[in-house]
Amino acid sequence: MWRLTLSNAIAHRSRLALTWVAVALGVAFVVGGLVLTDTSSRVLDDQFRTAAAGVDLTIRSSAGFDSAMGVEVQRDPLPATLTDRIAGTAGVAKVRAVAGGSAQLQVRGKTVTPKGPTLLGTWAGSPFTAYTLRAGHAPTGADEVVLDVATAKAEHVTLGDRITVSATASRTLRVVGLTQIGDADGLPNSNVLLTDLHTAQLLLGLGTGLTSIEAIAADDVNVPDLRTRLAATLGITYAVTSGQDAAAASADAAKQSISYLRIVLLALAGAGLVVGAFLIANTFGIVLTQRSRELALLRAAGATGRQVLTSVLGEALLVGLTGAAGGTAVGVGAAYGLRGLAKSAGLALPGGALTVTGRTLLVGLIAGTLLTVLAAVGPARRAARVAPVQAMRASDPAPATTKRGRLITGLVLFAIAVALMVVAATTGSMPGVGAAAALLLGAVVVLGPVLAPRLARSVGRPLNRLGVPGQLAREATVRNPRRTASTAMALALALALITFVAVIGSSVKAIAAAGGEAITADLMVQSSREEMLGGLSPEVGQRVANLPQVADTSTTRYGHWLDQGTTSALTAVDPNTLPKVAKVTMTDGTLTALQDGGVVIADSVAKERGLAVGDTLAMTFPRDGQQQLRVVGVMDDRSAQAMSTNYVLSLGTYATHYSENVDATVYVALKDGVDGKQARVALRAAVADFPNAAIRDQGEAAAGRAAATEQVISLITVLLGFAVLIALLGITNTLALSIVERTREIGLLRAVGMTRAQLRRMVGAEAVLVAAIAAVAGVALGLVLAAGTLAGLAADNPVVIRVPAVQLIAVVATAVLAGLAAGLVPARRAAKLDVLTAIATQ
Amino acid sequence: MTTLHATSFKHASAPFPTIAARAIDVVKTYGRDEATVRALDGANVAIPAGRFTAVMGPSGSGKSTLVHALAGLDRIDSGQVLLGGTDLSALSERDRTLLRRDRLGFVFQSFNLVPALTAAENIALPLTLAGKKPDPAWQAELVAMLGLGARLNHRPAQLSGGQQQRVAVGRALIARPDIVFADEPTGNLDSRSGAALLRFLRDATRSYGQTIVMVTHDPVAASYADQVVFLADGRVVDELANPTPETVLARTAHLDTPDGK
Ligand SMILES: Nc1ncnc2c1ncn2[C@@H]1O[C@H](COP(=O)(O)OP(=O)(O)O)[C@@H](O)[C@H]1O
Ligand SMILES: [Mg+2]
Repeated sequence: MWRLTLSNAIAHRSRLALTWVAVALGVAFVVGGLVLTDTSSRVLDDQFRTAAAGVDLTIRSSAGFDSAMGVEVQRDPLPATLTDRIAGTAGVAKVRAVAGGSAQLQVRGKTVTPKGPTLLGTWAGSPFTAYTLRAGHAPTGADEVVLDVATAKAEHVTLGDRITVSATASRTLRVVGLTQIGDADGLPNSNVLLTDLHTAQLLLGLGTGLTSIEAIAADDVNVPDLRTRLAATLGITYAVTSGQDAAAASADAAKQSISYLRIVLLALAGAGLVVGAFLIANTFGIVLTQRSRELALLRAAGATGRQVLTSVLGEALLVGLTGAAGGTAVGVGAAYGLRGLAKSAGLALPGGALTVTGRTLLVGLIAGTLLTVLAAVGPARRAARVAPVQAMRASDPAPATTKRGRLITGLVLFAIAVALMVVAATTGSMPGVGAAAALLLGAVVVLGPVLAPRLARSVGRPLNRLGVPGQLAREATVRNPRRTASTAMALALALALITFVAVIGSSVKAIAAAGGEAITADLMVQSSREEMLGGLSPEVGQRVANLPQVADTSTTRYGHWLDQGTTSALTAVDPNTLPKVAKVTMTDGTLTALQDGGVVIADSVAKERGLAVGDTLAMTFPRDGQQQLRVVGVMDDRSAQAMSTNYVLSLGTYATHYSENVDATVYVALKDGVDGKQARVALRAAVADFPNAAIRDQGEAAAGRAAATEQVISLITVLLGFAVLIALLGITNTLALSIVERTREIGLLRAVGMTRAQLRRMVGAEAVLVAAIAAVAGVALGLVLAAGTLAGLAADNPVVIRVPAVQLIAVVATAVLAGLAAGLVPARRAAKLDVLTAIATQ
Repeated sequence: MTTLHATSFKHASAPFPTIAARAIDVVKTYGRDEATVRALDGANVAIPAGRFTAVMGPSGSGKSTLVHALAGLDRIDSGQVLLGGTDLSALSERDRTLLRRDRLGFVFQSFNLVPALTAAENIALPLTLAGKKPDPAWQAELVAMLGLGARLNHRPAQLSGGQQQRVAVGRALIARPDIVFADEPTGNLDSRSGAALLRFLRDATRSYGQTIVMVTHDPVAASYADQVVFLADGRVVDELANPTPETVLARTAHLDTPDGK
């Protein structure tokens, strides 16, 4: 039987070729995603580790946690005198004082904004760091800076150029050296600026304070012992960590953005695999139908149903294994492509040699093989049921008719899914929405063969204008409901995901815009960078407030805190001035109560956690760890959206829990009668020396918020494009196979006078029709899923659903055109069939 | 383009008023080198218009190949095929297709119908492919003659073999083609359905003057024709006018013996 399996697979290799490609593509996606993210984390680990190569111990102020949302938290400065105390401790060989933090870089008047942080640090060579000068010399004076090679290359900076570095203060510095970091040119997504200690302190506004102290132990000293001793002498105000741990923590912070990418990539790879599974099941189904006579002959010759089943599954195993192997190989290469893709979506990943782990290879191989075999189980079981007498029957197997049972099961499933979706959406239970979505998909899969012919009839009506070719194309899809359904289903699934993402995206943007409505400020000054990557100097707010055109200002800050282990965000406001620039609606308590400490929470949070005014909430802050904050007010959710977070503190409370001293936004209310344009010019002039201060009105602020969403959406859409590609391969494959099956019919049509052009039109029309059915079903499914998800997320709030009609029409049009493209090859093949051989084919 | 009168004609023994199709020294080979088969080896034949011609010969003698050549379904290696005044070998693939659609009809041994179309749609197929509508009176007459009235909306799968072949005859006749080619149309039918089909073909010639060329190896089937052309080893070797089963059998027995088949 195994010999038969092998020779079968080889004999049908052209029919299985596209299946193989589908398996390979899906696996390549998975492997590519894993390799890419593995590589990125390894490179980050390496870099941070080599950057702190020689440091045994790092001393910093204690913090509740190390980093949040990809950024290390800021800690209180250390007194300069601490350096001597540590140097004097027995067992410490060398110490160095470090001042470092976030900064802004301007080259030739233009602000450089990497995706990650711009790091300002204190220069040191070996043995403390792995910085190696590639050119120039170390920074020694008050106006000297060393830049990483990567940034210098990207920004075309050479030795002797002047660049502007701004943190709390701003200075124009001369580039005196270019450094590599470890073996690399720089840190991914980041700019690295290194000055001497004094200049760094000056720029960061630290005075004589330090951000950390690095120590190297004497040769004969046990480092963990030294750490324990130092920790004991310094007390709990200071944290003593091993240099490697500190580096690992820094690497972890940098890796957070990658972990999000990994989830996205793997989820999409999963989608690609599921789409591929439909294609695989379909191909096996068709190939086996075509071979039913041969299978019956086998049965007649004494093969058991079980042997047939094993033989077919063996074939699937062969295809799966080789496809997965091919896909794994391709996937390693695809990692490069994905890196480029991510970069074009504004998410730069570290370069460097690829990391291919055994785990990656195993996942790729197992996922591909398992998927193929599982997808082939259905067709294989049908094949095993082929009766021996069918060998004797001359006629072609009648196309499978759809059963009543299928309709009933499908409808019941559908009803349950809809009911569950409605309940889950109204109660705001996301797991419920997810389960309903899965059920809905199941219902659509079951109903597919029943729905497909109906859809084909109505969607395919315009095809009648093509005459006989159009009519025959329509009939072909109607006559083979199961095949049409599973071919269309693969594409529909991919299109549903695209629709889902598009609708969620535009709705999220609409929600963000709605949040902005609660803001009444005329203008706002915001950091042109993400808040946590270096906000506005407090100086900006003061200067703006002093302008004659300005009536009122109110500043806000952002901070991260740990909510029972998970990172969450909060906003700090001035409760007195905020009402002058924003309409905050309280459902309980007052905003002004914040002055005496405590927290104001969003209505949805209050409901979810059962909190009311007077209750306490445990919040873990970076500076002072876990604290109990009293809930002093509850604001409605629209106000929370306007504040960007669900938790609001006063600026005073914030200062006790955070070391950060940067503003996120300065809201500005202008005096009556002041011209907006002129005011803008005045504001711009007032903060001219703060390059990162962007002045925006309501519209621009909304657009800024939307831009980030857009980038992520476009990345996901491009990646989903691969799933669409696999689905289109499915159309090509199914058509090519059905043309083999219909050889005699085609020969007949050609004999009685169908021209090649008409034949091509017929096959093309069939491809377009399948794509159109898929587009209709996919968009409908995507809309339902998005509506359910948005309703579930909104819970008690009014549901905001924005359907990007133009975008969806474009998706449908693209799908139909792509269908046309998918039909090209089979159409050409059909047209090339020799009339006589076609007639003669048994 | 060569005219009909340009070449002499060895086997056109009877002086027919018009010739619908003519094969002149047609050679057709399959395969290459040692494996070459000369399916037609200098075949000459004239198909008289308005008559029912049967083509007979042992299996592998080139009957189907000859019909395919005459119908422009296949290209020939040398010689000439004339359909009315048209030299087929000079036509492009597309023109041959259009010629088949507009001027020829076909009935094959099996698988004659498009499964997705109803009987009525199958009958109208050559016309609808050309973007035309069938003449309703002619269609009604054909359907009545073939006894398909109750079956028009059935699909091929719902029809018996005999009914399917009658639909195929209807399709072959609907466009009033110059010639209808039938390659063993009764090969898969029981004798009663076969006889009925043969009567339809004969009636088409008698009533409408339809030219028909039918391949068969059954002497009884051949006896329905007005004349029989005998093929052996890719050549036309004999002809018989007004055949009866007995005269046909006598000739075939005579032909088969030397071959030892
Ligand atoms: N496509 C083909 N390839 C190779 N040989 C062929 C092909 N078609 C027919 N032949 C050969 O040509 C000869 C004539 O075939 P055919 O015209 O089909 O005979 P008939 O119809 O009289 O039985 C036979 O020997 C046959 O094997
Ligand atoms: Mg034959």
